[in-house]
Amino acid sequence: MTTMSHETHEIVGSRRWGVGRVSRIVVMLVVAGLFVLPILGFIAMAFRSQEGIEAGGDGFLGLGGMSWENVVYSWGQLMGFGPGGGGVFLRWIMNSLIVAVVGGVLALIAALPAGYALARLRFGSRRFWLFATLLAMVMPNTVLVIPLFLEVNAIGAVGQLWPVAVIMGFFPFGVYLSYIHFMTTMPPELVEAARIDGLGEVAIFFQVALPIAKQVVALIAFFSFVANWTNFFLPLALLTSNQDNKTISIGIQELIGASPLFNATVAAGLDVKLYMPQLALATVISMIPLLVVFLGAQRFLIRGQTVGAVKG
Amino acid sequence: MTTATTQAERPRTAERSRAAAPAAKRRAAKRRAPHRVERRGAFILMAPYLLLFIVAAAIPIGYAFWISLQKAPTLVNPQTGFGGIESFVTVVTDYRFFGTFVNIFTVMIIWLPIMILGIVAMALLIHASPGRFGGAMRFVYYIPGALAGIANFVLWVYLLNPSQSPIAFLWQDLGMTTLKEVVTTENLPLILTAMLFFQGLGTWIVIVNGGLNGIPDEIFEAAALDGANAWQLAWRVKLPLIRPWIGYAALMNLAYGFQLFLEPYLLRQISSGSIDSEWAPTQLGYAFAFTNRNFPAAAAMSIILLVITLAIGIVIVFRSGLFGESEEKAR
Repeated sequence: MTTMSHETHEIVGSRRWGVGRVSRIVVMLVVAGLFVLPILGFIAMAFRSQEGIEAGGDGFLGLGGMSWENVVYSWGQLMGFGPGGGGVFLRWIMNSLIVAVVGGVLALIAALPAGYALARLRFGSRRFWLFATLLAMVMPNTVLVIPLFLEVNAIGAVGQLWPVAVIMGFFPFGVYLSYIHFMTTMPPELVEAARIDGLGEVAIFFQVALPIAKQVVALIAFFSFVANWTNFFLPLALLTSNQDNKTISIGIQELIGASPLFNATVAAGLDVKLYMPQLALATVISMIPLLVVFLGAQRFLIRGQTVGAVKG
Repeated sequence: MTTATTQAERPRTAERSRAAAPAAKRRAAKRRAPHRVERRGAFILMAPYLLLFIVAAAIPIGYAFWISLQKAPTLVNPQTGFGGIESFVTVVTDYRFFGTFVNIFTVMIIWLPIMILGIVAMALLIHASPGRFGGAMRFVYYIPGALAGIANFVLWVYLLNPSQSPIAFLWQDLGMTTLKEVVTTENLPLILTAMLFFQGLGTWIVIVNGGLNGIPDEIFEAAALDGANAWQLAWRVKLPLIRPWIGYAALMNLAYGFQLFLEPYLLRQISSGSIDSEWAPTQLGYAFAFTNRNFPAAAAMSIILLVITLAIGIVIVFRSGLFGESEEKAR
């Protein structure tokens, strides 16, 4: 048996340096280069200056033109953007943090018990809600943006942050993650035993299920935060009318619109000049919160992606 | 009831044996269940989610449907009221309506095959590279996926602009010296393909790779015993086994295509309007709502898109054979 599986692995992994193995590794490295080099060049862009770009000669991917002074200058430009002396950039980051965190917390509050109920409780409409959740999960969320705008408009709350946060709290993928989690980690016998001990259904969730849900809490928090942070169409429809309440994703759109690269007339009327280094810096800064939550949730992620793929 | 038939149809050995289990036993188990207490508990636990479901999905859909049946107020006749399918007619007969779908299909004809080929090829290559190298590569491919939305867009502005792009030589070889010459309606399908491929590939590799990892090793060992080499193993054994995941990826990306908004919307902005402002169906809906202030038409447009993506979603959930599995475990 042992020799057999050993042989198999040799064939499966093809350890010999044959043509097949070399070409496989070359292809994978080339694709990796195509994916990483643009990002590297883009991050370098945040450390460069418009003068350096125009002069050329910043070297490979512009890495030679990087300096901290450039960042300080670009930061000053970014901070100067906005009415009344600027500062609106930080405001946008703050707004994004508010809606992404509140939306994420709401998603957790809603998804954890709902996923548990769908996984471990028997009730008549269980299948219906399960399929409604799956359907809502696989449908692209921008489809609902116009109807959501009409709804929020009807109650006169366009331009305010709270409807955006509440809508972001609806996160069917989180319910699915929670459902799969309890399905795979919490045997029905455990629920049954708790019932025999005299615990009510709600108490079982809080005292038995929730303490073993750490992993899925991290997954839901991560995925919903990322989805909320990068959401573009929803804030565009609901918050564009109120510049102070924009999120960073549509804020960056405004920065692009104010760049002399794309709109000379608008840019001419501004005190600050937003060229590619400034736009790249704004984008890189806007990615930092994502990096932070990624590092925080990292060890749960690979498993989560697979679970999210549909399977337990 | 429909779900029961779908599950029975699915060609899965484990399920087939389960379907053969006497149904009577299951029914007996149901009767024993302390139903009422469980049902009450279930609805208490589901309450926050159901509330959000109603507020963020059910009401907007119902309300949009109702609005779409209203008459649009005009300057001449500001009176609104029940208009029947009037706004659907307005939308469908709009001179841009048909074109937006043609645009989306043009992109998808190029993008979907490349995307699916890329996903399958890279997932198979990673699966053929066990150990640290494969893991590292999977992580590297995943990085651009983190740059979702506007960040990916700004990155592509950097790549597309001949005045400072690291691939400026390419644009110059093609005779393009300004961003406006690169971002044109003719080039849009290719640009969108590149953007979406770059952003989406890594996530899908991880998903399909997860599917491959779920296949028991014995199958590969048996194939190897039969003398299959790595290439035959990938082509004849792994590929047929991950077909459900490939179908899932294709359908999810198809549904995604119908709701493209950010990329064409912003590409227009940076190309000083060389692309139509209503290039994609979602943009047309947006224009009805925010440019024309014709809410019934905007609602009708979103209902049309909703029906299309709902149909794709139903196929994914009921036919891909991926979601029933966990449902089986519930019993």
